[in-house]
Amino acid sequence: MSGSGILRKIFLVDLFQGLAVTFRNQTPKDTVTEQYPAERPKVAERYRGAPRLNNNPENGETLCIACNLCALACPENLIVVGSERNEQTRRKELTTFTYDLSRCMFCGLCEDACPVDALELTQDFELASYSRPGMIWDRQMLEEGPRPTQYKC
Amino acid sequence: MADEQKPGGSGAPLPAGGEAAKQPPKPSPPKPAAPPPKPPATMAATPWESDLPRELKERFGGQIVETSTYLGQNFIVAKPEAAVPILEYLKLEADFDYLVDITAVDWPKRPERFDLVYIVYSFSRNERVRIKTYIPDGYKPETAVGVHLTANWLEREAFDMFGIEFAGHPDLRRILMPEDWQGYPLRKDYSIIQQDQRWVQENLGIESGQ
Amino acid sequence: MKAASDASMPDTTFLDSTELVLNMGPQHPSTHGVLRVILKLDGEKIMGTDCVIGYLHRGVEKIAENRTWAQFNPYVDRMDYVASVSNGLGYCLVVEKLLNVEAPPRAQVVRVILTELNRIASHLVWLGTHALDIGAITPVFYCFREREEALNIFEKYCGARLTTHAFRIGGLQYETYDGFEQDVKAFCDMFPAKVDEYEELLTGNRIWKGRLTNVGVLTADECKEYGVTGPLLRAAGVKWDLRKAQPYSGYEKYDFEIPTRQNGDTFDRYMVRIAEMRQAVRIIRQAVENIPEGPIMGKVGKVIKPPVGEAYVSIEAPKGELGYYAVSDGSTQPYRVRVRPPSFVNLQALDRMVRGLLVADICAVIGTLDIVLGEVDR
Repeated sequence: MSGSGILRKIFLVDLFQGLAVTFRNQTPKDTVTEQYPAERPKVAERYRGAPRLNNNPENGETLCIACNLCALACPENLIVVGSERNEQTRRKELTTFTYDLSRCMFCGLCEDACPVDALELTQDFELASYSRPGMIWDRQMLEEGPRPTQYKC
Repeated sequence: MADEQKPGGSGAPLPAGGEAAKQPPKPSPPKPAAPPPKPPATMAATPWESDLPRELKERFGGQIVETSTYLGQNFIVAKPEAAVPILEYLKLEADFDYLVDITAVDWPKRPERFDLVYIVYSFSRNERVRIKTYIPDGYKPETAVGVHLTANWLEREAFDMFGIEFAGHPDLRRILMPEDWQGYPLRKDYSIIQQDQRWVQENLGIESGQ
Repeated sequence: MKAASDASMPDTTFLDSTELVLNMGPQHPSTHGVLRVILKLDGEKIMGTDCVIGYLHRGVEKIAENRTWAQFNPYVDRMDYVASVSNGLGYCLVVEKLLNVEAPPRAQVVRVILTELNRIASHLVWLGTHALDIGAITPVFYCFREREEALNIFEKYCGARLTTHAFRIGGLQYETYDGFEQDVKAFCDMFPAKVDEYEELLTGNRIWKGRLTNVGVLTADECKEYGVTGPLLRAAGVKWDLRKAQPYSGYEKYDFEIPTRQNGDTFDRYMVRIAEMRQAVRIIRQAVENIPEGPIMGKVGKVIKPPVGEAYVSIEAPKGELGYYAVSDGSTQPYRVRVRPPSFVNLQALDRMVRGLLVADICAVIGTLDIVLGEVDR
């Protein structure tokens, strides 16, 4: 073994090189930890989170036309759309909309299938609930969105 | 899609029904003979012309039922007892030294219930060939472990999921399901929510897994 | 668990009192999932192993028979959950093959970019957890820090970080977002320096070399016998990569190398995967330079009904050859979808690799196989 090889071995040069990398990364401004409960992370615009039924911003009516395409697209069959036919306008009107979040895998197929952009997966990811039936959302919950209890630390 | 959601009782009433209730029904004209049922669609495979199927047909003769290609992928259909000799021939003579996969497909309405499929690949020729055999339920095909060691776990999985026992396999037991599970999950008569209730109750201590 | 699974344990006729059967149970920090390995030991040396898998078996192939072709797409991500984009690519390719359509060029280029980003992300998880198993605690933090950048790109593109469901049958669902090219280029500029950092930490380190060289050797012939593919095969000296041998999704247009090494031991696999990460950056750079304009979805009807037939398509996933064998009977639901998982077939070779090694080496060998139990068990 050459002279420098033995010296490298005795003086642990390769181990110190690794340690140099570690110490280089120690600057506090390089910290990438997100302080989660204190600061909510910014998720992307297309994030597939909690579902929401959108309303028409002008008159507050629901955009959903009860076409049932979302229920057919769902791999888990967890959307149930209830509707009744309005005799005057001869169109279907939405009455109940049930979405079972406990089995939802947030794949986005329902959002892709909706022709009028009524059903949308939003950026909400704080969806925990204390009970199993609490995860089955009805129309009102879907339109308003979850309101998790907020704590201040 | 609109059919799924017929609102109750508000479809257009049939006029013929309303009228027929008042008059006696007229004798209907003789219906034309129903057209003969179409045969079930089969794969649009075309014959595979090349050196390899010619050599195989020379070597194995009548044991090779067909050599075809579909969508650019070549496959051979062989008699069940010829599957392992064909694999051996392909490995030693034609340099197909890598067994990619062994799997099965269940066609319950056919007398030869299972489609046992071997896929082999040759590094030097950069070619992939499928070897299919049709085997009835209860038939025990010979194991391919003597030819390719890869077949060990792949055949265990075929046994576990379909119940195809391989004669001569060194260690044929269930691999993905628990050891003493009854039933073969990927068969078509095994429902998707079916479970071995006895196993669930004995081992998990609950009434049912549902 | 009851003793029903003890049927696989060796008989109790020990040759001498130092022989021992040790259970490396399903809950273990180093088995990368729920893998149970029953070790037959002679003192500290391993005489034989028996893997018990199936703890994560979810019946994905059975689920496929009960969903439509498009509905099955999200389930495919959950098999190899670390590299879900590759799984989705393989499935979309096999259904496109059955339908005899091809994704348009723009979709193909974006697919390549996302798949190579996914390869980097998967190898980063591998590197971090492998180093952690051996005992080097630092690399895992750095690897996951870089992985965040890649996952951010996935999140901005398709909405999810891990189970991405990025591709659809026939092309893509989403257009690339504004700033996609800038983000990807920024990642490519940032990343090679980080790979140098990992190499500085590990490659020259005597402890790393001592733990990894000549451990878990699998020669090229043994690899071919056992059907082992992916970085394990390349570390044994076989210059074979499905992206070059049977290109898919436009890979023939890119210029990249296939890194190979000679010995086939754990250290060589580490070097191969590091080199693969660098080559992946090279591919992404080439792809993002010229993303062609055009449609992102091919000519696929609203209802996907492939004609009767079957096809086998395989791709070079980060872990090996991931194959899909799909059988269609002409209806809207698949008749059979078989997934050929690379981790399942690679795991068979574990027994051959650990004969004669010490117990401490088995964590290194399981780590170097890069298995994901979601894929092994499906």
